[in-house]
Amino acid sequence: MLHQKRKHSGRTEADFAPLLRRLALFLVVGYLAATVLFYFLAGEQLHLRESRGDLELLTADSGTVELAAGSVVEQTFTTEIQRLEKISVQWGTYYRPNAGTVVLELYDTRSNTLLMSKSFDAAAVTEGGFTVMEAEAPIEGLYNAPLLLRIYSPDSQAGSAVSPLMNTQAKEEGFSLTLNGAPTPGILCFTASGTDYIWTGLHYWEFVAAGLAVILLFLDAVWYRARSGKRSYVVNAVIAVQKYRFLIHQLVARDFKTKYKRSILGVFWSFLNPLLTMCVQYFVFSTIFKNNIQNFAVYLLIGVVMFNFFSEACGMALTSILGNAGLITKVYMPKYIYPLTRVMSSMVNLGISLIPLFLVCLATGVHFQKSVVLALYFMMCLVIFCLGLGMLLSTSMVFFRDTQFLWGVLSMMWMYATPIFYPESILPENFRWVLRINPLYHFLKNTRICILDGISPEPFVYFQCFMIALAMLLVGALVFRKNQDKFVLYL
Amino acid sequence: MSQKTMIEVSDVTMRFRLNNDKILSLKEFVTTALRGKLQYNDFTALEHVSFEVKKGETLGLIGRNGAGKSTMLKVISGILKPTEGSVVCRGNVVPMLELGSGFDFDLTGRENIFLNGAILGYSKEFLHEKYDEIVEFSELGQFIEVPIRNYSSGMLARLAFSIATVVNPEILIVDEILSVGDAAFQEKSKKRMLELMGGGTTVLFVSHSLEQIREMCNRVVWLEHGNVKMVGAAAEVCDVYDI
Repeated sequence: MLHQKRKHSGRTEADFAPLLRRLALFLVVGYLAATVLFYFLAGEQLHLRESRGDLELLTADSGTVELAAGSVVEQTFTTEIQRLEKISVQWGTYYRPNAGTVVLELYDTRSNTLLMSKSFDAAAVTEGGFTVMEAEAPIEGLYNAPLLLRIYSPDSQAGSAVSPLMNTQAKEEGFSLTLNGAPTPGILCFTASGTDYIWTGLHYWEFVAAGLAVILLFLDAVWYRARSGKRSYVVNAVIAVQKYRFLIHQLVARDFKTKYKRSILGVFWSFLNPLLTMCVQYFVFSTIFKNNIQNFAVYLLIGVVMFNFFSEACGMALTSILGNAGLITKVYMPKYIYPLTRVMSSMVNLGISLIPLFLVCLATGVHFQKSVVLALYFMMCLVIFCLGLGMLLSTSMVFFRDTQFLWGVLSMMWMYATPIFYPESILPENFRWVLRINPLYHFLKNTRICILDGISPEPFVYFQCFMIALAMLLVGALVFRKNQDKFVLYL
Repeated sequence: MSQKTMIEVSDVTMRFRLNNDKILSLKEFVTTALRGKLQYNDFTALEHVSFEVKKGETLGLIGRNGAGKSTMLKVISGILKPTEGSVVCRGNVVPMLELGSGFDFDLTGRENIFLNGAILGYSKEFLHEKYDEIVEFSELGQFIEVPIRNYSSGMLARLAFSIATVVNPEILIVDEILSVGDAAFQEKSKKRMLELMGGGTTVLFVSHSLEQIREMCNRVVWLEHGNVKMVGAAAEVCDVYDI
């Protein structure tokens, strides 16, 4: 290739040896630091997740028996929960005030041991309401074990007793319902929930070690290639980064300086903008269209900040090649620099708009947990995704100027397909797939989990988001690379 | 001086595909394609051009308008990729094709020195070191802190020339830039160019002024309709071309 020949001719091994050594050190130390940091930040969520074997509530269509003294409701069942934590039962009250004590008991029928129990006042039960029985510590070893849930009341009177609800149609292997000793078809309306161990989490350090081995092998291969005089992509990329760092810095600084050059508030717009957008949308969606999201202000602002970045980065990258036509036809530099600097300038803005986000979090009393740091991971995934998409768009823009108009429509659709200002639960079931295939939704959702819920998503999600971002970057970079020599002919 | 080859142009062909109209939108593309009017005319700007430039040599490129001189320079500086053949440059190339490309008119002269310098491939340390020299050569004085949208065209050209020539490149590519600023500055810039050329720099030079070519070049390549018509010593080729 012409340009590579030019750049590297005359370079000797000595030039890249220290570079490579620095790269190797950086990779290994960075990797180890990141994995250890992640281990601590992810905390419990690295090892445990909500069980996939949770029993869902059935729709109630009938009461069982009136739970006066002497009546017993017994439900046997099995679950695929590794650590059982909670059982809840749904009640009918016959729409009247009730009295008396009700007892819930859970037995392991293999050994007839009482696992947990709870007694409570029937007066507190509401129609269709739940009582929750919680284990003091998660109970292990009940995976697929035969369990018995027994409900009775020692002292309730007929006429003022409650009744657990049931579904008369349901049938399941290992489940049987007995009312006052008589087997009855149907299943009680109850739920069982708990947590499962995550295989990845249990083997975390093995994974870390495997990753390290891959990195070392990779470095060894790069080193070997470099020694034998061949050019690998890695060496080229490292040299390019070294060589064009100053230029990239200058171009990003230029974008940033000129953006607000002649405005009075200048850089303040970077954090006023998301704040004002949030205020308007907050007003609209908390008074006109009501919703029941907790801490809606932060929920909304996270969405606004991330989507603003997305649309700004992609919009700017879109015109990056065309807008720099004057340079491209006159000076040689690697063309990926143009979309890259545009995305990086937007990244600076993203960084600045994190300040108002932080302030609003403080003002609304968000309790920051250590997982907040992990939110940055998902933002980085978003940046990588935008870079890939930006390269794709800028390429397309050179050959078809219609791209910018199509993109205008597409980004609007994208905005509505992402739960920025609405809760994801308002989407009907048959449109859920829109969210599942929307990469932005994944980045956004997990950022919110990290900041608002204060917990880390499960480990697989990190892998998933990284892969989405990487795939977009690869597609974008390949299309860009394939076409970049033709750009100058179409400008 | 060792006769090391600095630029090797081997068998370069540059072919442009010209549509009758440049089709830039999808709709146009589809409609013209459907009407069967999608025709391409190949236009060959350079055809199997080969030459070499040795170290320290000043090579002139002459030819009429449209002969392919500028295309040749763009291919050598890496902006265009040749359809066939290859170009090898040994050393860092500073193309002075159009001065001041990459200036941002909202930034001050000072900021533009760094921006334009970075675009030309200078390092940070180099620019910091040479900053005063650039300002002095450009004779801009206090105007250096003023946004360059307020500059006159002469001031712009002086700034651009000062940035471009502050380096001692191994290969310098020049496309008629010696007529910059007032008479005094022109004299100064010519002196600077000669200084650069005297310093062992390999120079590729395009000009329509045969006088300049005769004065500054050792060898000359004459291009006509994309072909090499003649290569040889400056005086010799110029004499033939002149007729």
